Amino acid sequence: MSYKRSRATFEADLTAQQSPYVFFGTPLPPRDPEVRDDGSYVPIWKQEVRDERGRKRLHGAFTGGFSAGYFNTVGSKEGWTPSTFVSSRTNRHKDTPRAVQQRPEDFMDEEDLADAEEAKKIQTNAAFAGLGSTANDATRASGLMGLFRPQGETMGVKLLKKMGWREGQGIGPKVRRKARLELQNDATAQGETFLFAPENVPMIAFVKKTDRKGLGYAGESGLTPIGRSGSKKGSHGDTDDEDEDDYGALGRPKLTIGGGRKKETSKIRGGIGIGILNDTGSDDEDPYEVGPKISYNRVIGGDKKKKKATIAANPTLQAKPKFITKKAASSILGKVGLGVRKCHDGRLPLDGFVFGKESDALTTEINSEGKYPPPQIPPGWVSSKTPKSESARGSPANYVSTADVAKASTLDPKARAALLGEKQLPGKSVFDFISSASRDRLAAVTGRSDLPQALGEVPAAYARSEAEKQQELLDRVPKLNKETAIAAISRGIGGGAPYAEDEEKRARYRGYLEVQAGFRPQLPPKPAKLTDEEWLREFHEFFNCARIFKPMTGFMASRFTTSSSTKSTASTTGDAKEVVSRPPPKPEDPAEEAARLGMFGTMTRSVTDFYPTRLLCKRFGVKPPAHVQPDDYDATSEKKKDDVWSQFQSYGYQGGGGGGPGSVERELLGLEFGSTGGGGGSTAMADLEKGGEAHKPAAVVLDTSRNEALEGKRPGDEVFKAIFGDSDDDE
Amino acid sequence: MDVYDNNTFTGKDDFPRKILSQLLGSNGPVHAVTYSASPGTYILTGSADRSIRLYNPIPASPSSSTTTSSTSFITKPSQALSSTATPPQGRLIQTYTSHGYEVLSLSVSSSNATFASSGGDRAVFLWDVSTATTIRRFSNQGHTAGRINSVIFAGVDDSLLISGGHDTTVRIWDVRSQSSSRPVQVLGEAKDGITSLAVSSPGGGAEVLAGSVDGRVRTYDVRMGRLVTDVFPGAVTSLCLARDGKTVLVGSLDSKIRLMDRSNGQCLRTYGGDGNANGDAAGGWMNKEIRVQSVLGGGERWVVAGDENGAENSNGEGRVWAWDLLTGKLMAKLGVPWGPGGGKVVVGRDGKEKERKNVVSCVAWKDGGFGNQFCVGGTSGVVTVYGEA
Repeated sequence: MSYKRSRATFEADLTAQQSPYVFFGTPLPPRDPEVRDDGSYVPIWKQEVRDERGRKRLHGAFTGGFSAGYFNTVGSKEGWTPSTFVSSRTNRHKDTPRAVQQRPEDFMDEEDLADAEEAKKIQTNAAFAGLGSTANDATRASGLMGLFRPQGETMGVKLLKKMGWREGQGIGPKVRRKARLELQNDATAQGETFLFAPENVPMIAFVKKTDRKGLGYAGESGLTPIGRSGSKKGSHGDTDDEDEDDYGALGRPKLTIGGGRKKETSKIRGGIGIGILNDTGSDDEDPYEVGPKISYNRVIGGDKKKKKATIAANPTLQAKPKFITKKAASSILGKVGLGVRKCHDGRLPLDGFVFGKESDALTTEINSEGKYPPPQIPPGWVSSKTPKSESARGSPANYVSTADVAKASTLDPKARAALLGEKQLPGKSVFDFISSASRDRLAAVTGRSDLPQALGEVPAAYARSEAEKQQELLDRVPKLNKETAIAAISRGIGGGAPYAEDEEKRARYRGYLEVQAGFRPQLPPKPAKLTDEEWLREFHEFFNCARIFKPMTGFMASRFTTSSSTKSTASTTGDAKEVVSRPPPKPEDPAEEAARLGMFGTMTRSVTDFYPTRLLCKRFGVKPPAHVQPDDYDATSEKKKDDVWSQFQSYGYQGGGGGGPGSVERELLGLEFGSTGGGGGSTAMADLEKGGEAHKPAAVVLDTSRNEALEGKRPGDEVFKAIFGDSDDDE
Repeated sequence: MDVYDNNTFTGKDDFPRKILSQLLGSNGPVHAVTYSASPGTYILTGSADRSIRLYNPIPASPSSSTTTSSTSFITKPSQALSSTATPPQGRLIQTYTSHGYEVLSLSVSSSNATFASSGGDRAVFLWDVSTATTIRRFSNQGHTAGRINSVIFAGVDDSLLISGGHDTTVRIWDVRSQSSSRPVQVLGEAKDGITSLAVSSPGGGAEVLAGSVDGRVRTYDVRMGRLVTDVFPGAVTSLCLARDGKTVLVGSLDSKIRLMDRSNGQCLRTYGGDGNANGDAAGGWMNKEIRVQSVLGGGERWVVAGDENGAENSNGEGRVWAWDLLTGKLMAKLGVPWGPGGGKVVVGRDGKEKERKNVVSCVAWKDGGFGNQFCVGGTSGVVTVYGEA
């Protein structure tokens, strides 16, 4: 028993035995042989450093100590060497049975992973956070207003910024003016003008008056140090800056409940307890200023002063005397006491006028609720300033406006004309001509019942006989293609006819089709119960119904076949080989028909132009044909034009054998309108096709349902070229 | 019953009815045969086994061991081969293998130095005869789809190659330009595949004829810049121009071969089909499915065509038909035997024995229809050479 078990056998035993320390119950199944859970000793070369995600993060030198690069690598002293070289030429990477899947997470450290986790959180955009947002308390401080005003940029500001606007600028085209430098150095700035963005102008804010102070009264001015007000007077730029300060972006007045102004004034407020030790380093404040705790403004709009950054950078600059031209000085001095703000149009206010004080519109709204009711007028008070000629004007009680008088009048224009003694106008009213149905419609639309009765007169010039009316009605009956009509009739024979439930209507439909197919000279008489309009509408309905059966032409006909059901039952299996459906014969090409009949010759022959390239002619040793000569411009353009037709022919419209471009064009147009056009398109085509023989130029009848100028016109060659032209040139 | 008057014919005409030799070696159906340019000593065959073979049709018989072609040509009539059961074999000279698909058409240049071939791989190959290598392959921007059914030399000094195929275009290639890979011109008027091409002889005018499945023969007159389209009742499968260029033989899939007057498009004579029964109702020439070539032969005295149906009661043996050009009368029906080992039983996919027909699809007459010899090829893979007895 002196022999010692090898470690391998020991471990094999360990894993094979299930849990070695179980005495009661069912032992757990053996675990994965790689995983040890017995707390046994693992030699250091078998220990691996893995991170919390089970990855081996330490390689090579970092595995620990002098054994680095050996123990924890692939196990050789040399470190990693490829065991076998596999050429990727024959053995592509994708062919490997289990391609190593790498995820971005494999390359992330904890920070990145945390970021990725963070990115997965869904939260609302800041712009939506107006209600219930607790994201930042700083914005919450603005409190109630946050409910009504979007946080951050409004959409208008965003749009403006996209258009190039920047905050602080005004809106509008750029203004050419002199540079307004801080130091008004006239010598250098002479004559040089630049384009500047327009200055920002504040919006007008109408402020409700909430106190009982007189109009324009601004309250007592606070005691301000003379130096401050004096220094303020000098600089024009400061007032500009002040504007910016007062208004937010886009000149919107800042609406903050605990606004900055209060803060500003609190700064000014001097107190007993403030001494030299409390000096904040600001030159403006006089700690020894004596005055009441409540400081009043004594200068309108000039109560606050913000230090400018440039001034702070160079404090001596402010004290430097400046040269101000007389004109500028007078204008500035004239305005400065009133607060040099600009009107919304960028101009200074008129002399003698002052800007209204702006205050928070919302708070004024709240405060004004019954707080400062207008004074009660004592009973029995009569104004001393009564108008002198009261009786002449009439008492205001029975004053009636002109409009009311006009409304009350029952006179119509004719009656008024009669009253005024005017002659009757020779013309007639519109109502004399419109039909009573139209008049009723007008009355319904306008809501007026006092419209004159419609007379439905017909002017003598336009009066037509009954026959003419009938003819006009018949002309408005939509025209159907003959082929389509025949197809529709044949479809009707098969039992699939529409209007199966209405015998009379079907008869009318049938009659319409027969007329259009040319089997019948004229339409059946109008049934008595239908009005003209209804009758016509029914024809349009018939037309739309029959239009479905338009036989297909060209390519489409060869692609599709009409479905037809075989009536043969099991008993009639005489010809079992008969295909289920036999495509109906295509519209026969006369050339092919002639060829089938053996009538070779002119019937089967068609001659078109062919444009051999010059190289081809050269190789064949022949002179190029005349129409290929390149020095003739007309010829080439002609060639281009004809090429379009040859393109058509190559795309399957050659068929005709002498059909020529005209027929192709007709076919094309038919295809186009037949497929896309609505009600009117095919009518137009039918008219086109009838062309010379059927179109009577005499009767010019306005058909509102179609516009011949739009539909009848043949598109230019460019259109066809764009649609059908070959994209690659064969030159 | 012997309508196959190979050797029993006792008439007066000198139609070459006698089988001179058989050209073996093809491993599949032969789709194209052509004689070399005048004097037409050699035969080129294009086969479905993707190779082109060059044969000397005159067998190296021990009696005439002097095997220069001209002498053998002369000594041929003296050979008494009528009694032999199996005809002698022609000599295979060269095999040209570069095609990746079946070879469908061949054309030999007039100098006999090069020839062109086309087939299932959408390229036209221009070969050097002696080195058996391709000089050019016209494939870039070539036929975009399908097979090239026909290729033919054209132009002065064979400076052009014209090819037409399944993609409905006729493409004209410049042989001389070494750099340009674009076709000189693409003729795209056809609405269906091009099956056959013909070019009027260099002196007779610069015209390209293209027969198409859409039943049209389009004649492109380069000199006049005209395109003349003639309509035929069936798909046109074969075109053969007469030497003077005034008439063209048009074979179409309505079982008729027509001799057309090219000047006015009228049909001069119709061969085959029921319209020309000749009292031989049982065996009217039928051609409704397969491209079968028909040529003018014997100094344009005869019209010779292959047959898509095998002969009756003859193990599917093929047939060649010949008509008199002027009268339209059926002159001869020659049996085309299976080659050695031919006619073997073919087992179809369903395991049953399949009936096999020796479709004679290609015919070529020596020396452009003016020699005294012609050869036919077909599904048997054997090219049979007929000569005067």
